This record gives sequence, C-alpha cells and structure tokens, in this order.
Amino acid sequence: MDIIVLIKQTPDVALNIKVNDGALVEDGVSWVIGGWDETALEAALQMTEAAGGEVTVLSIGPARVQEALRKALAIGAHKALHVSCDSTDGWDSFQTASVLAKVLEGRSYDLILAGKQAQDSDSGLTPTMLAEFLNLPQVTNITGFSDLSDSEVTLRRKGDAGTEIFKMALPGLATVNDSMAEARLASMRGIMMAKKKPMEEVALDSLGLDASLLSTDGVMIETLGYETPQLQKEGRKFEGDEAETVPQVMQLLKDSTSLFA
Amino acid sequence: MSKILVVAEFKNGALKEGTKELLSEAGRLGIPADAVLIGEGVAGEADVAAGLGAQTVYVADAASLAIYHTLSYTQAVADAAQQSGASMVWLNSSEMGRDLTPRVAARLGVGALSDVTGVTVDGETVTVERPCMATKLIQKSRFKHSGVKVLSIRGGSFALNDQPACAANTVALTVPEADARLQTLGVEVEESNEISLTDAPVVVSVGRGVGGPEGAEKARPLTQQLGAALGASRAVCDAGWLPHKHQVGQTGTQVKPQLYVALGISGAIQHLAGMSDSKIVVAVNKDADAPIFKVADYGIVGDLFKALPALEESVAKLKG
Repeated sequence: MDIIVLIKQTPDVALNIKVNDGALVEDGVSWVIGGWDETALEAALQMTEAAGGEVTVLSIGPARVQEALRKALAIGAHKALHVSCDSTDGWDSFQTASVLAKVLEGRSYDLILAGKQAQDSDSGLTPTMLAEFLNLPQVTNITGFSDLSDSEVTLRRKGDAGTEIFKMALPGLATVNDSMAEARLASMRGIMMAKKKPMEEVALDSLGLDASLLSTDGVMIETLGYETPQLQKEGRKFEGDEAETVPQVMQLLKDSTSLFA
Repeated sequence: MSKILVVAEFKNGALKEGTKELLSEAGRLGIPADAVLIGEGVAGEADVAAGLGAQTVYVADAASLAIYHTLSYTQAVADAAQQSGASMVWLNSSEMGRDLTPRVAARLGVGALSDVTGVTVDGETVTVERPCMATKLIQKSRFKHSGVKVLSIRGGSFALNDQPACAANTVALTVPEADARLQTLGVEVEESNEISLTDAPVVVSVGRGVGGPEGAEKARPLTQQLGAALGASRAVCDAGWLPHKHQVGQTGTQVKPQLYVALGISGAIQHLAGMSDSKIVVAVNKDADAPIFKVADYGIVGDLFKALPALEESVAKLKG
C-alpha cells in the first residue's frame, strides 16, 4: 500500500496576512504545511500502519518547500519528493495538476491523498483535476476509511445529505476532511530520523513539459488581486452584570430587526 | 454568445434553493440558461427549472444516479455542456459541487474557480470574487482561456426570484454506464428532529467556554425558544461534547442565518470563516479581547452561564 500525499506549503493563515496594492506580502510570512494536508498525511500514516507500505510526500516549489517536506518526514512520512522550481506564483490549479500528472507518470502508487483544500487558496481544485488527468477514481472530503486492501478501500465522505460510502478500486485519489483525525506532531526522535530519510529532488525543467503549459499563455485563471474584506463590524460591546446587559441587547435586537415581530 | 448551463441539485426530490438562485441570476444578467438534472425521479422538476428560465433541460434520470457519483455525474454534465454549447457551467458550492466542479473542468480541458461569491460577466470576460485565506482576503480572478468556464458559487450569493413552473423543453441524456472502480455502498442519514444548520434562520453556537457536554446541552432550551439550530466550534466537536454535524466553520457547515448567537466561542479564524456572513451576530464571551467580538454586532462581555437564563427570559418577554 504505497501512498503519495500532496503537500502545499502555505502561509500560516492564523497569523497576519498582509496585502499591498492588491498583492500578497510574502515578507514576514510564516510558511507551514496546510492544515488539511496535515490531516491527509495523518490519514496516510494510519493507512500504512494498518496495511503496510510507504508514504511519500510530494511538493512543488522553491527551496523553502523542503522545510515542509522535512517536517512531514519528521511526522512519519517515509520519503519526500521535491519538484523544484524558482516559483509557482501565478500558476492555476490546471497547471499545477498538469505538472503533478507529469511527475507521477511512470511512478507506482496505490493511493494519492491530499487535503480537501489548500490553506491559502481554499480552492480544492488541484487534486480532483489531477485525478481526471490520471484517469483515477476519486472520493473527496473523506471522514473515514475501512476495509483497506491492495486493490480497494472503503471510504466515507461528508456529502450533502449525510455520509456517503463508496468502495473505491485502487489506484485512486482521495481528499481529506480534517474532522477525520487529529494530525500527530513530530517527535524528537522523528525529527532526528527525518534527517536521514530520502529527499528526492526533481527539477521542473527536467520533466519534459510542454513549454506552452507553463507560459503565461497557458494560464487559464488569472488572479487580478486581493482585497481585505471589511470583517471588523461597527459593533457595540456591553460590559457589566449579565442580568442587565442581556435584556438591553435583546431589546436593541427587537427594535432593529423583525426577529421578534 | 453567452449561455449558462446550471447543474441542478435536489433536496427531498425538489430543486434546491441554490439551484434556483443560479437560474434567477442568469435571468437577471439577461443571459440564456439551460439546466442539467441528474438523479433518480428528478425529471418532474424539469418544469420547475423551465419556469425559472431554463430554455433546454437536460435530464439523466436513473436509479444508478440516485446517490452522487463523481464519475457518472461528470460524464452527464460534460455531455450536457457539449450539447448545450454553453459558455459557462454554474454549480453550487455544495459538497457535490465542490467535488464535481474541478473534475468537469478538467474533463473539458479548461480552468475552474470554486466557492465564488460574486460574478461579473462583460461580454466574453468573466471575473469573479471569492474568499480565500480562511476568508481573510477576497481574491479577484478572471478566466483567461477561451471556451467554457466552470465555476461553483456559494449559496446565498444571488437573490432567489421564484417563478411558477412551465412546460420544459427536455432532452434526455444517455445514462452513463456504471464505472466499477467506484461503487456506491450507501448514504447514512442521521435521523434527527433537530433543525439543520444550513436552513435555520437562527443559529445558537457553543464554544469551549461551555466547559463540557453538560454545558453544551444548556444551550438547548434557548435554541428551542428561538427555533434555532444548535451549532458548535471545532474544539467542542473534537472534544466530543457535541457530534461533528453541529460544527460551524470552514470544515463543518458554513452558515448565513438572520441571527447568530455565539456562546463562549473565542472565534478561531476557521470558525469566523464559517459564520461571519450572518446578518446579525450576538456574542457572549468572558474575554473582552476575543476575536469573535470583531464580527459581532452586539458583544456581551460576561459569563455565558449567567447570560443564558437572562437570554431565555428576554426572549420569552419579547416574544410575548
């Protein structure tokens, strides 16, 4: 049971995200493994613990993504694959999925896992596009697995009407909802061992990709810019005895809305 | 020439509000629309879609399509998109839409945008707005490629303009053959008398401040009084104080009620991303600096266990 986990190194969205003139400010950003991707790694580790096999973490980007891959190795992944390039700025999901499909061409795996969406874009497009390019069956937003064998796995997915249950033949692809499992942390021993684990580096240029794919003409989706939404409300704060503040607020609610009409 | 193909979704056999919103918006933009209906026993809804403006309604109605299945639904939507000649395919950002959107786009060899909250169509140019970075930023993007543009749109982004049904011009699609690589085993629907988070006009949510499962249960009388759904933060669900179906946030359910009452929720960014679109937010928290107060219209700095009985009393009085 060999699993490839797609990792995107993203800014830590829990910290301050700054925009200058419509562009993201990378200065001072703390780069992390996206939270959903961490859960995907956890799912992969649980699966290989149950059925044997190895977990390879895969990421595309400049040298800094090796920090994320090294951390994944410390958490428990067996091998890392770094597709190196100067920058992935301006790439859309279609391009990223196309590159991943090329990288995985000729490699052997039973399952590809990824977070249900990246922590920065919140898009959730790339894994599914990859599944289509590789002609793999997919189940997204999984919350659990069972009956794992070399040829198939049963996956539970959070669907619109409830939990949808599928038996998926392998090889296949799944994306992981973070309610599936609490991601484990790297141990001291894991961090020491990670230094000796294999980190394969493949240059993007060496993949033999169609030159037009990564040119500006190949971009399907152009991001024009970012804005900071007005999250801060002109709210009122009430302090003091709850027996007084609560009725005061509720009266204001009644007066300003039709909620209690 | 612009044309939109709307991918319909159903709830209890009827067209979902989200689908009706998409058809309404197409009408508002003056862009012709077609619809594609996939499922079991859904053909009868074609007239409803036609009433909302769908010129041609493509229907794939079969027992094998009763439960959402990525591969067969992708094939049916791609088939309808090609027959319709639509310049855009619009889906809802539901669990189905999120799964289907990128697969359909990749099948058609084009880009996609998901979780869109605003669309501007100017001739062939389609520009969208969508939240990203846990709703900390709004991203503006445009489709650069020619050909069909595939996007999933969040519920509530467009107003619903309901219209009476009328006779539809329907085209039956070839029902996709079952793909043995993905076998549907079933759907577990949790039977419950509780109001669902998605539909509730009022949501009362509890956070870590409730201290445990007993504390979480103390919010129930208020939810009953208000006809509200019971929500919870991720911390509460992860701790097992309430089942995960109550979770509000990016991972759980994204809600947009008329009134959101946050009790003992500090307001982690992923939680705020799932509720900050609520019309009015009332927050109760001991910590005056809690991030939840940044999105609250009314912030009550205090003890939720003292606030709860006062809330119940006030609601009873105001409902009089």
